[in-house]
Amino acid sequence: MSQTLTMRTPGPGQGGSEKRERVGRRSPLRRFLARPEVGSLIGAVVVFAVFFAVAEPFRQAASFSTVLYASSTIGIMAVAVALLMIGGEFDLSAGVAVVTSALATAMFSYQFSLNIWAGAALALALALGIGFLNGWILVRTNLPSFLVTLSTFLMLQGLNIAVTKLVTGSVSTDNVSDMDGFASARAVFASSIPVGGVDVRITVLWWLLFAALATWVLMRTRVGNWIYAVGGNAESARAVGVPVKRVKIGLFMTVGFFAWFSGMHLLTAANGVQQSGEGVGNELLYIMAAVVGGCLLTGGYGTVVGAVIGAFIYGMTRQGIVYAGWDNNWIMFFVGAMLLLAVVINMWVRNQTSKR
Amino acid sequence: MNRNRRLPVLLAGAAGLVLAASACSSSGGRQEETATGADTPELTIAMITHEAPGDTFWDLVRAGAEDAAAKSGVTLEYFSDPEAARQATLIQAAVDKGVDGIAITLAKPDALQGAIDNAAAAGIPVVGFNAGIDHWQDAGLIEYFGTDETLAGEAFGERLDEVGAEKALCVIQEQGHVALETRCDSLGEAFEGESETLYVDGANMPEVRSGITAKLQEDADVDYVVTLGAPFAMTALDAVDDAGSDASVATFDTNADLVGAIEDGLVEWAVDQQPYLQGYLAVDGLWLYGTNGNVSGGGSEPVLTGPNFIDQDNIDSVAAYAENGTR
Amino acid sequence: MVTLTDTTEAAREERAPSEPVLELRGVGKTFGNIRALSGIDLKVGAGEVTCILGDNGAGKSTLIKIIAGLHAPTSGEYRVDGEPVAFTSPRQALDRGIATVYQDLALVPLMPVWRNFFLGSEIRTGFGPFRMLDVAGMRRVAEEELGKMGIDLPDIDAPVGNLSGGQRQVVAIARAVYFGARVLILDEPTAALGVKQSGVVLKYVNAARDAGLGVIFITHNPHHAFMVGDHFVVVKLGRTELDAPRSELTLEELTHHMAGGAELDALEHELKRGEGEGR
Repeated sequence: MSQTLTMRTPGPGQGGSEKRERVGRRSPLRRFLARPEVGSLIGAVVVFAVFFAVAEPFRQAASFSTVLYASSTIGIMAVAVALLMIGGEFDLSAGVAVVTSALATAMFSYQFSLNIWAGAALALALALGIGFLNGWILVRTNLPSFLVTLSTFLMLQGLNIAVTKLVTGSVSTDNVSDMDGFASARAVFASSIPVGGVDVRITVLWWLLFAALATWVLMRTRVGNWIYAVGGNAESARAVGVPVKRVKIGLFMTVGFFAWFSGMHLLTAANGVQQSGEGVGNELLYIMAAVVGGCLLTGGYGTVVGAVIGAFIYGMTRQGIVYAGWDNNWIMFFVGAMLLLAVVINMWVRNQTSKR
Repeated sequence: MNRNRRLPVLLAGAAGLVLAASACSSSGGRQEETATGADTPELTIAMITHEAPGDTFWDLVRAGAEDAAAKSGVTLEYFSDPEAARQATLIQAAVDKGVDGIAITLAKPDALQGAIDNAAAAGIPVVGFNAGIDHWQDAGLIEYFGTDETLAGEAFGERLDEVGAEKALCVIQEQGHVALETRCDSLGEAFEGESETLYVDGANMPEVRSGITAKLQEDADVDYVVTLGAPFAMTALDAVDDAGSDASVATFDTNADLVGAIEDGLVEWAVDQQPYLQGYLAVDGLWLYGTNGNVSGGGSEPVLTGPNFIDQDNIDSVAAYAENGTR
Repeated sequence: MVTLTDTTEAAREERAPSEPVLELRGVGKTFGNIRALSGIDLKVGAGEVTCILGDNGAGKSTLIKIIAGLHAPTSGEYRVDGEPVAFTSPRQALDRGIATVYQDLALVPLMPVWRNFFLGSEIRTGFGPFRMLDVAGMRRVAEEELGKMGIDLPDIDAPVGNLSGGQRQVVAIARAVYFGARVLILDEPTAALGVKQSGVVLKYVNAARDAGLGVIFITHNPHHAFMVGDHFVVVKLGRTELDAPRSELTLEELTHHMAGGAELDALEHELKRGEGEGR
């Protein structure tokens, strides 16, 4: 006891006389390895090497552009889903919400004879509204997001088909490709840009732009700090004055925005006709991309860059099997195997580097 | 500690093995095919459908395509995705690979147009089959093999009139599928009795069964249950039993089980669009185009593979082939 | 031990008895029919450590919640700087400089130390939509502030979850101090810690006191309390059992009160007799 009492004497700022508490310093290499996306980066290199070796068409620039395109269609949503997951929530309705947005744009434009952009604005309001509803129900009821968004997922799935059939009399929307604004919408959402002699789909550029933007928000803004905090420990975040509910609702609305964006791509890429029964199952691919990229399912940990790599792994696997000429029926098996592998590697890397 | 370190390595190794194994088997098959092939330049043909994995119908399509490929020394690559945007990406991938021909189902033509245009730009011939009879010419395909769903539906409706049916229940196993809707709609138009549409979830057989049962219990006037796929006809038989109804079952499309059921007199008839023929003709059409410049149907008319009625009268001739998995 | 105590007593004498920053007068709280607290008096001045001791269920946590602004007292008076207050939220208490460090510390384990330090009160630079975190500034300040508390983390980017329990307490304390706390309420900061880590925390309680803060130290460990406390309040069944300055108390007396006083004597007697019968 007397020993402990001696500690009273040295005051703050004059601690030279005592041993200071230290945590072990980590080398730059270890710090790099501790980054959440490292596991997925290793995985991406392996998958790339495998297909580069076995599939001759995979080596061509044009094929690589297709791989990037396939990655971007999942990757754009994966950016938002990763943000949401870091914030501690899921959105199972994300897959069908994309189709809802595309259907809404087409139907608003056609039924009210609006410019496509006006229809798109209404659809954006709807998509944000769905996101808000998801978030609002979540914070009001404190139910797990799995249940809340499972409900909205099923409801949207039904609404997509039922409302489309009710409005258009068919299971797909009326063609809006000859309406005002479609050409410019197509240029924004579904055109190709020649880059070094290869046509690159514009979604690839949007994908990278959104990823960069989301990374900046996450790492360099107050909101980003709050997203990590809300996902890591919502109670603590609330105690220090983080508006937890607003952050969560905002994240669901971000998913809504990206769903709208992806929906606009779907609609313009499909020449202005949207099928109502699609999108089911994609929500799991978005989640898969985020998890492969190192996001923790429990929240508070992960990066958008990781989700980008996760989507890229998915795109490479999916298209690589086609380029290699392997049996189509195996695609989902390989995607699943990649997921398992990535998750195990992530866990292993995390365990190794967090050892002090 | 050690175990921990080994686990991912093991998993990686296992995944690598599986990757390697599947690569081998596919190239093995290809070698066999070449060996039996005709003495013509080897073509690579990609077949890309909107199949949702696990429907027997597509086994017949593939069987036809593979037989045609083997006979002509064609390397066939088969891919499918029910999601239109992903089917388009699969087509794009085939274009990137520089295959010699592409056979596609045109279930959702608008979404595929971009990829089809890219194929045309790359000088790759594209043929359509199974779905898209109204769109294949506009889409720029060189030929089309399949049935007219409207014709098939009408023929079905007329047959119902012939047998004196009064109320038909048309069971759609996938909500939002244009071709299926067309079948039920045109059936309803041609049929003089009453017809009603019932939606069920085709991916969930117990639900199909209970859905039909409930409907039959609720509405005793139904005397014909019409299904739009062979597996659903078999389930409908069970549902009719469950409901204690005396309704008959007739269907679109066939498979081996269904052929047996027609033989036994359980299912009245099937309107067959001959999926084996569709797959076979699509590959053969591309081969003929590639080696001899032939265009089936002259590029302006579809080549019809149905509707072809299978019932007690002609079942014996079909049954033998069904055992081979080609009808 | 005697000499050490002497020096600390001397140090204590030097500080003039200050105006209480925070004062409770006859505070009570009832929930329906249940009387959780009654007639509690408490004073905390700047540079003083007031220890609140009590067994589980004695009413300590209700008392903290009143001080922290989570509950309003149903009787008595709550004064800050001599003027009566009626807080309706912890935010209001915080604005008056009364900061509570709860047992869970309100830290996010997966986040780096500096992000935790500034969580909810981030420093930003830039304008409009481009307002971004001043990462360099926050890292520097966090490092400096922790340094002032005598804790030196070479890796300010390490996740808080990697720190020891004691270090985490200190981060939470340093954060409260930096953001203008004048009275620091520490809710059982040593409860889940081992001997060594408890020592670390007690050291920083002292450091906070020497920095001129008032500290309310809630604990059920009289040994810990006696090491740092200037004034001791023992709460029992919602009432003040003991209220004494350090000069009027020994550790033994404190332990005795804490353990239940007369009741303990009776228990001791009973157990001895039990042993006797056993033989």
